Amino acid sequence: METHFGAVFKLAGALGAMIVGLCFSGAAEAVPSYARQTGVACQGCHTVFPELTPFGRSFKLNGYQIDNLPQVQGMRSPQDYDLLLNQTPPLSFMFQTSYTKTKTALPDSQSPADNAQNGQVLFPQQASLFYAGRIAPGLGAFVQITYDSEAGNVHWDNTDIRYAKQVAGLQDPLTWGITLNNNPTVQDAWNSTPAWQTPFDQKTSAAPVPGAATQIDGTLAGRGVAGLTAYAWWRNSIYGELGLYRSAPQGVGGTAGSGPLDSASGGVLTNWAPYWRLAYEHQWDKNSLMVGAYGMTSKISPASFGGPPPTTIVPVGSATDKFTDTALDAQYQFIGDQHIFSLQTTYIKEKQNLDGSFGLGLSQNASNDLKTYRLGGSWYYERNYGAGLGYFSTSGSSDNVLYAPTSVNGFANGSPNSNGWIGELDYVPWQNVKILLQYTAYQKFNGASTNYDGNGRNAKDNNTTYLLAWFAF
Amino acid sequence: MKSKLAISLSVSAAVFSLVAPAQAQDAARVAAQVCSSCHGPRGDSISPGFPKIGGQRADYLEAQLKAFRDRTRADPMAQAYMWGMTSQLSDDMIKQLAAFYSGQKPPKGKTGDPKLVQAGKSIFEGGIPQAKVPPCSTCHGANAEGNAGFPRLAGQHAEYLVKQLVLFKSSQRAGGNAVLMHNISTEMSFDQMESVAAFLASK
Repeated sequence: METHFGAVFKLAGALGAMIVGLCFSGAAEAVPSYARQTGVACQGCHTVFPELTPFGRSFKLNGYQIDNLPQVQGMRSPQDYDLLLNQTPPLSFMFQTSYTKTKTALPDSQSPADNAQNGQVLFPQQASLFYAGRIAPGLGAFVQITYDSEAGNVHWDNTDIRYAKQVAGLQDPLTWGITLNNNPTVQDAWNSTPAWQTPFDQKTSAAPVPGAATQIDGTLAGRGVAGLTAYAWWRNSIYGELGLYRSAPQGVGGTAGSGPLDSASGGVLTNWAPYWRLAYEHQWDKNSLMVGAYGMTSKISPASFGGPPPTTIVPVGSATDKFTDTALDAQYQFIGDQHIFSLQTTYIKEKQNLDGSFGLGLSQNASNDLKTYRLGGSWYYERNYGAGLGYFSTSGSSDNVLYAPTSVNGFANGSPNSNGWIGELDYVPWQNVKILLQYTAYQKFNGASTNYDGNGRNAKDNNTTYLLAWFAF
Repeated sequence: MKSKLAISLSVSAAVFSLVAPAQAQDAARVAAQVCSSCHGPRGDSISPGFPKIGGQRADYLEAQLKAFRDRTRADPMAQAYMWGMTSQLSDDMIKQLAAFYSGQKPPKGKTGDPKLVQAGKSIFEGGIPQAKVPPCSTCHGANAEGNAGFPRLAGQHAEYLVKQLVLFKSSQRAGGNAVLMHNISTEMSFDQMESVAAFLASK
């Protein structure tokens, strides 16, 4: 039974990784309806989309409020509006189509001795509808609904609904706000945190990706969470945020059909997971430098699978793993008329207390750690031609149960270690269209350079060539 | 100099006092919530891509805001940023915003390359006779503090000033008094533009 249980857990893990990859594979904080609302060209908020400029950060943290469109408005008293709606709804559309090829073809899913076709066209890879703009005075939204061709369905994607207000009468500007969102760091204004980190923000969904990731690095978001956080931003420089997240998976329900969550759901947050963020930004001349830290502590039901025997039932809260994520990040930008340089980095350390999993035989160790480091830089010439280079590394404790061998997506030696490089060339013929050619080279994949999955596949076999055309309109 | 500054400030104060307090508060709110994102909380922008507008002449600011709104000022940055930003501004709000920013503290000069600053001082005070460039001080004031519709230039970002001179020369910045600056900048070399900008930024 335990073997079966373990297999189910691993399958769930693989599915979870896939969901992370599919649901949050594309950062798309580049929405023309903001340009329509503000009357400001894309270059106001973005160096090149989706990376934000200082003005873009200000626009986001102030609740997507700047508006230069005729309004439908209602007023309680002079200057006290209880309705401010753009006469044109702030809708946008995004279409991405891509071609992906790995260095070595993947094995056929039905006949492992044969190969799958190598060279996958996705049309679309992703197509999204956005509501992005002001909802009411002080209240604004970034809401994304995505059709994903790999999954063949429409799912709820990145969402950030926030209220922000500037404190009047102060010598130095102070903005405070609250945000409701569904992806820890999606609400962040810098491109060094996981949800929007460049040049790692855009990747294919048609090639293998390393299997180990920290909770804050997309894992929780992929499972489905909802968070309420409050922040303050002083002097356009010092930023602090605190909040709580709770499980909110889509398409999963207990007895009532749409919740409450029970043993039929996997990976449920058993607490209100606290999230925190601190950042300091200094701007001078055409430069800005941010150094920051962020983190989250999540207690998660290790696995809960229902169904007919012999599946083990694990009621929510009967066993819990605790993940403590602590991260540092930094971003540098130089925004000139001709040249734009930016550099983003983050280091995430996750302490995993796996009491729940260990007790159920789902991990070899009672505690593990997992660390991710990423450093990426990009350069653009006249916001027209660009290039990016990034290094990524994930490493941590070996665990033969947690990281088990399976073809392509497995771990032969129980090590979660992966690292490699991403290089990218970009052509931006118009401010809202980007064509990029990306190459990802793995030095280590799921624990090894050679035969990493126990089925003879090497890390470099997963090296990926990715051509993407990205339209936002 | 002090008397001119005092006159300038008192004129600004007079303009400001004409605006009803509630309207002035409205302008302060718009300035804080919108304009400050690029131009800084008190018009003291950090990035040289955006001009410092604190302490700028109210009549000049008013004319420029109207030119953006009417799309008669059509240089690339105007189109990308200010056309949209001003599209819904009423004449009254434009007047209030101009009064608000002209009432802010003017920017402090930044030390520049002494050689450039000296060469720029010579152009500012004496012009470039062979290039038919009159002394800038003729219109912009002895201390570059501005005069009526002619803007304050003292303490402005050097890069912004050079960019404007290039735009005047190429007629990409047109409308209003731009034709005067086009004629003046036509024979100016880029080095001369940089010199005079360095001098003005240092004031």
